Amino acid sequence: MKFLCVPCDQPMKLASLAPPDRGSLSVIYSCPACGYEMAMLTNPFETQMVQSLGVRVGPAEDEAAAAAGSSGTTAAAAGTESAPAGSRCPFAGMLGETSAPGPDAGADAGAAAPEATRPTAVEPTWSDTASERMKAIPAFVRPMARTGIERFARERGYETIDERVLEEARAFFGM
Amino acid sequence: MKSYHDISGDGGSRILEQVAGQQARVDAALAGVKHLLAVGSGKGGVGKSTLTLQLASVLAARGSEVAVLDADFNGPTQARLAGVQASVPTPGAATMALPRSRAGFGVFSMGSLVPETHAVEFDSLSHGSSYTWRATREFTLLGEILGSVAWGRLDVLLLDLPPGAERIVQFAEFLGPRTRFVLVSIPSRLARGVVLRSAAALSGAGRPAVGYIENMDGYACGGCDEVRPLFPTSDEGLPGLPCLGRVPFDPELATLCDLGQPITDHPDLPSARALSGVAGRLLELLEVTS
Repeated sequence: MKFLCVPCDQPMKLASLAPPDRGSLSVIYSCPACGYEMAMLTNPFETQMVQSLGVRVGPAEDEAAAAAGSSGTTAAAAGTESAPAGSRCPFAGMLGETSAPGPDAGADAGAAAPEATRPTAVEPTWSDTASERMKAIPAFVRPMARTGIERFARERGYETIDERVLEEARAFFGM
Repeated sequence: MKSYHDISGDGGSRILEQVAGQQARVDAALAGVKHLLAVGSGKGGVGKSTLTLQLASVLAARGSEVAVLDADFNGPTQARLAGVQASVPTPGAATMALPRSRAGFGVFSMGSLVPETHAVEFDSLSHGSSYTWRATREFTLLGEILGSVAWGRLDVLLLDLPPGAERIVQFAEFLGPRTRFVLVSIPSRLARGVVLRSAAALSGAGRPAVGYIENMDGYACGGCDEVRPLFPTSDEGLPGLPCLGRVPFDPELATLCDLGQPITDHPDLPSARALSGVAGRLLELLEVTS
């Protein structure tokens, strides 16, 4: 979608985004020639359609996020995760409060733990490096994979999930 | 006044460039994959998933590097078939590592992530209208998965498609001309009618299927070692489509599938022998048509 300032015959530029509101985006465009501003207001159907493409709407200065091409879905599907730091994805805030998969949302409970394990009720925490590595997993899948890895850690009594635990899980799951 | 095509860019969001970036990421991830093989039908319940997984097992046993992607996000079965229901994908250095089947190849299936008692759900901003966006969302997810996995060097990446004649064409358009399509049918006129529609849809899209596999072609009786008729029309074929082989319904195979075991552990089963023949013809076809 493009916007044209008819009096100036100039393409309008995306200027800013207003905070999302009940599934609607407010995207402000301005004419570089005359400064006239207009707002594109989407209805939830339109917002959802764009979000479904896995793209972000916003000024293009965050080229890295644009190149990754998935920030629009990071929080969208994750439910439990906020948008990545610096993300300008307007969908993230709207979708971040949606329901998260339950603690059993991974595969069938029953990933057999070795006999020597020490199951713990303590919810394992994630180290920064392990959290960073999880970004290699698509956003929609990530919370489910996190749940499975946390279960793996709990069954073994690990209180922190770090890269060593990720490697152990990787070996255990046969990768 | 300027028209749409007189203006470059979209004023800031670069939506088209982002979509192109997603495709480039998929292309890069699949650069080491020699053949993309989509197994579809149009008809449900004909054994697409079973044949996909067991063909992969046979190909792996022959020394091919293979992997399986369960593209049926809503009715995933590959996790159970491959015995990876309790194995979630984990992150590598920059890509996603897949659980390995008991036959040793990587498998992605939503069945590893979502219990069979749960539906696969996507968050939505427009509740009650999933018919307007769901397919788009699913293909976006497919692209994210294809672009995130460390596929490495593969001879064949097999995709297990969901049922639906129209879905096959959507997959053909999404996956591009590299992908070859094999259809699965059974010897029932009812099923063949649907599979023929799928074949016609693929041809109409300029992406004709390379052939079809006739599944449940008779009943392999473990008691008398004979294959007996299961449907009254088993001699008919699908006009204009090469038959890559006929696989009998085999209760032993059904048991192996429930247990997540590869058929290559039981090479003397009638279904194993048939699948071995199909795999051989399939490899020849892929080499010829690539």
